[in-house]
Amino acid sequence: MKRRTIATRTIVPSREVQRGIIGGLMLLGGWEAATRLLELPTYVLPPVSGIVQAIVERRAALAAAAGYTGGEALAGYLIGCTIGIGVAVLLALFPWPRRGFVSVATAINSVPVVGYAPLLLLWFGTGIESKIAAVAFAVSFVVFISTLAGLDRVDRRAVDLMRSFGAGKLAILWRLRLPTALPLIAAGMRVSTVRSIIIAIVVEMLGAYGGLGWVIYQAVMQIDFVQVWAAIFVASAISLVFFNLIGLAEWKLVFWR
Amino acid sequence: MLQKERPSATAGDPAKPILELRNVNKTFGSVAALHDFRASVALGEFVTVVGPSGCGKSTLFNIVAGLEEPDTGGILRFESRSVHASDLLGRVSFMPQRDLLFSWRTVIDNAILALEVEGVPRKKARAEALGLLPEFGLSGFADHYPHQLSGGMRQRVALMRTFLFKRELMLLDEPFGALDALTRAMMQRWLLDVWQKNRRTILFITHDVDEAIFLGDRVLVMTARPGGVKLEQRVDLPRPRSPDIVTSPAFIEIKRALLAAIEEESMKSFAAANFREYAQ
Repeated sequence: MKRRTIATRTIVPSREVQRGIIGGLMLLGGWEAATRLLELPTYVLPPVSGIVQAIVERRAALAAAAGYTGGEALAGYLIGCTIGIGVAVLLALFPWPRRGFVSVATAINSVPVVGYAPLLLLWFGTGIESKIAAVAFAVSFVVFISTLAGLDRVDRRAVDLMRSFGAGKLAILWRLRLPTALPLIAAGMRVSTVRSIIIAIVVEMLGAYGGLGWVIYQAVMQIDFVQVWAAIFVASAISLVFFNLIGLAEWKLVFWR
Repeated sequence: MLQKERPSATAGDPAKPILELRNVNKTFGSVAALHDFRASVALGEFVTVVGPSGCGKSTLFNIVAGLEEPDTGGILRFESRSVHASDLLGRVSFMPQRDLLFSWRTVIDNAILALEVEGVPRKKARAEALGLLPEFGLSGFADHYPHQLSGGMRQRVALMRTFLFKRELMLLDEPFGALDALTRAMMQRWLLDVWQKNRRTILFITHDVDEAIFLGDRVLVMTARPGGVKLEQRVDLPRPRSPDIVTSPAFIEIKRALLAAIEEESMKSFAAANFREYAQ
């Protein structure tokens, strides 16, 4: 029993990765075959080979754009996680404004960030600040909700045990509630990775000086659909890397599950 | 460190009660959990509490652990001083029914939890706990995580955590309730052994009559809800107690008296439960 759990921990990820790679290759193969057999025009769907070729040819520009977008997403992500976890912890310590706060936050977040994007551009300018703000805003909500749920998951009896040892609120938070919440915090942070890249790109498309979203927007204007797809490929690649890095950190950190 | 020299008064010193409860009541809304509960526990004594399920044993423990305040009007005395229940937080060593080990902490770090809360430097606390591992049958398991341990071992880690929170009075709430019969018998003997060496005052809840007699200097039988003390039975069996003591005539005689009292109370709570069912 014990041995099995240890074994599955090491085998499962690699099998998942294998399946992911096989699935991805099949998709790309089908795509390539479809564009060639059906002779689709490139503005409908360019062949994968053409996109890959474009990525290789324009690697310098794409890498710069990816770095630009990635930087915005990462900065926003870190700020968002800090705010989300921080506010949830504060509400766990001082619960009285909680209900009102959660309703207001939910109401604001029921509108997609794109809806606020013009305002953010107005307030923070066309530079990276508006993208960082948009990402931080969206990420903080997801991380806030998952942290709150995680902090609530604490076992009353464990809290009583800590109290019987004479532990105060802070000691209970640090030694019990935060570790209990960690699996859910990490899950929220993992989900937010992809969201942060998407939002950075979408806001860039509405106005920016650089980045993958800006590249996509320019390419659409120039009817260069291969370039659009090249930027999309690069975006999904950095999303995947980001997602898996956080997933790996989560797997290391929440080792007891 | 845990060793405390004390004159070998096996049954504790009744003149010096560490804990006294008189006329203690506790109601939750319209439900009375404890009614006119009275008991006193002497320094160094091992008192066991048995009673039908739902008789308010856990409420009693929560009060003595300081987690819940009894209704006003009762008398609660600890170390010869009148106290509020909340004054007892951090002064009584409490072990709840479930082991409640923290899955992200190793055996050693679970054991030192209370010491850490008290502000003992981690290094020092660990060193102290390491020295106790053999006595708790956990040698070589310092760096294991709870999910790698058997039920009996987890329970010993929880007991070690309780022991390391060095308070004169220990509350153990059915610590062996979830264990199989064999492990349980071994744990009982082991607990007596540890108690004999360290001599703390123990208040021990169980629903197993044999366990109550085998361990205790005195057994309190609780009434059906609202819980009070139905019967107080001294156990004058010699210590150290060997496992076969449970078949001795003296043991059987005590058991008969206790079972009769418990039977009566169980019927009451059973009847009450049935009545409620029919009434609905």
